[in-house]
Amino acid sequence: MKDAFLLVYRNMKERKARSALTVLGIMVGIGAVIALMSVGYGMQESITGQLVEMADVIMVMPMRMELGSIGAFGSFTDRDQEAVRRIGGIKDAVAMRGEMEEVEYKGEKFMVHVIGTDPKDVGALFGAIVKPEEGRYSKANDHKTCTIGYSIANDYFDDEIGVNDRLTINGSKFRVVGVLEKQGGFRSETDSEIYVTARDSVSILDNEDISEIFVRVRNIGEAEEIATEIEERIDDNHKLDDFTSAMTMGSAIEQMESIFGILQAVLIAIASISLIVAAMGIMNTILMSVMERTHEIGVMKAIGAKNRNILFLFLLEAGVVSAIGGVCGCIFGVIGAHAISFGIHTAFDVEIAAIVKPEVLLGAVVVAMLVGILSGLYPARKASKMSPVEAVRYE
Amino acid sequence: MIRTENLTKVYQMGDAEVYALHDVNLEIQEGEFIAIIGPSGSGKSTLLNMIGCLDTPTSGAVFIDGIDTGKLSENGLAEIRREKIGFIFQQFNLVHTLNALENVALPMFFAGVKRETRLKRAEELLANVGLGDRIYHKPSEMSGGQQQRVAIARALSNDPEVVIGDEPTGNVDTETGNTIIDILEGLNKEGRTVVVVTHDAEIAARVGRTKRMRDGRVLD
Ligand SMILES: Nc1ncnc2c1ncn2[C@@H]1O[C@H](COP(=O)(O)OP(=O)(O)OP(=O)(O)O)[C@@H](O)[C@H]1O
Ligand SMILES: [Mg+2]
Repeated sequence: MKDAFLLVYRNMKERKARSALTVLGIMVGIGAVIALMSVGYGMQESITGQLVEMADVIMVMPMRMELGSIGAFGSFTDRDQEAVRRIGGIKDAVAMRGEMEEVEYKGEKFMVHVIGTDPKDVGALFGAIVKPEEGRYSKANDHKTCTIGYSIANDYFDDEIGVNDRLTINGSKFRVVGVLEKQGGFRSETDSEIYVTARDSVSILDNEDISEIFVRVRNIGEAEEIATEIEERIDDNHKLDDFTSAMTMGSAIEQMESIFGILQAVLIAIASISLIVAAMGIMNTILMSVMERTHEIGVMKAIGAKNRNILFLFLLEAGVVSAIGGVCGCIFGVIGAHAISFGIHTAFDVEIAAIVKPEVLLGAVVVAMLVGILSGLYPARKASKMSPVEAVRYE
Repeated sequence: MIRTENLTKVYQMGDAEVYALHDVNLEIQEGEFIAIIGPSGSGKSTLLNMIGCLDTPTSGAVFIDGIDTGKLSENGLAEIRREKIGFIFQQFNLVHTLNALENVALPMFFAGVKRETRLKRAEELLANVGLGDRIYHKPSEMSGGQQQRVAIARALSNDPEVVIGDEPTGNVDTETGNTIIDILEGLNKEGRTVVVVTHDAEIAARVGRTKRMRDGRVLD
């Protein structure tokens, strides 16, 4: 066995350039598959991962305009919030009073989504996910304070806004008490919002309507059932059908996952084409090797090599070439995956950490060897079946 | 030891049939040293390839040690080549990527001999042909005569009963040729059957029995 490897090694050394090119072919094929799969997993994880953190959430929004208030979206009332709270299995139901308001800072004006929530509900709303980067949330006793999203603080206005700066919302001065961490991705909306207390929202901004109810359930398994019940209760309150839409995050995650499954399959199909090209490369290399060494094969047979000895030697060569290609492909793939996520990060400012799974690497090496040995089979058989006299005569 | 029965090999060259061998009946006794001579194209190499089990006849039969080689499978023929016959070529035909030691050990590798055993034996065989100090040299680093001695050592590696040489001295100078014939004579004295093809009358004269070939036939 050691000598078989020696024979293969000596041959590869003799044909360095060609062996290297074949290894390169496999390496690129395998590397492409690994890189694309890893980036795919990373993408899936970065999006569904954010959603999974919120798997116990149900978003309740009015779906239809209410009769009699033509031109305005429907809204909920405090009674709706109470009704939702009474449903079993619900941990929290946070009312959000959101409205587009004119926000002014140092003479610049923008329309911004300003949301009023009860300070005691902030924990339920953001949990451990959204934290102030600086400062804090508004407190129950605060008067005219606000917490602003990351983009409001840094991107909207020419000057950066920090804690204790003052904004004018709809004509009233508000003091900034906190700036939230950058969210990005699926939660990037939060970055462009301003949070005030429910009391200020009602009394100062004159915004009594509840635009959204944010529900957290105790048991994720019950989420769908509870969502249906929420819709029924609120619809009853308003004596309307299909007035309320309650969407669980679970169903959003499922949708995302199926989309990513398809995306992944397409990427892998593309990468597989390079693998097929690599397989033809191996077949070509081994075939060339067989042709060039026809004389040597004849000599080996003349001194007593059986067909299977010859077959084994050439399959071993194919296996060694493809194993080296596979391992190099793993290295190349891992580097490639990180390069791609870095590229995405710089180009789109989206954080996608490539996820390299060990089973993917292992599978890639196995596939490389399988492809190598299968494509080596034809030339190896050809070599083993040569007639010794004719092969010896061949120069 | 070796017997041919109406051994015939026909090559089809376009419309014409070329009889490389024509009803050859030859018997070689165990322990004999026989030289086959004859003009170019008379069929000497073809005959050696047949008795060396490298080629199969168009008709007729080759018996080695009483075994009808025509009845053997490809594997069976490979085993005869490996165990019973040592073949020496005019062109040496060493594996150029391997050194002398590895070349000599190669037939034992195919026979599945343990690594240490075969390297030890290969070293001994090389010492016997006077190449004890050249075992790690590649063929390209050796003279023709040295390469041919490596080839002889290789032919002996599985201790065959028959040693066959197709013009083993054809590519070396007279002096080296004599050394090679000395070695072959030594092998014959050990009891091996030796069959060589040669153009060299001087060599033929040193050998026990000489057979002359012409136009695919062995003359009496
Ligand atoms: N593969 C082949 N195809 C066609 N004809 C062949 C083939 N091999 C040998 N012959 C013919 O068979 C005849 C005998 O050839 P062979 O090689 O046995 O001669 P030889 O006696 O060894 O000659 P030399 O002394 O030149 O080596 C020649 O006429 C040759 O042309
Ligand atoms: Mg000849």
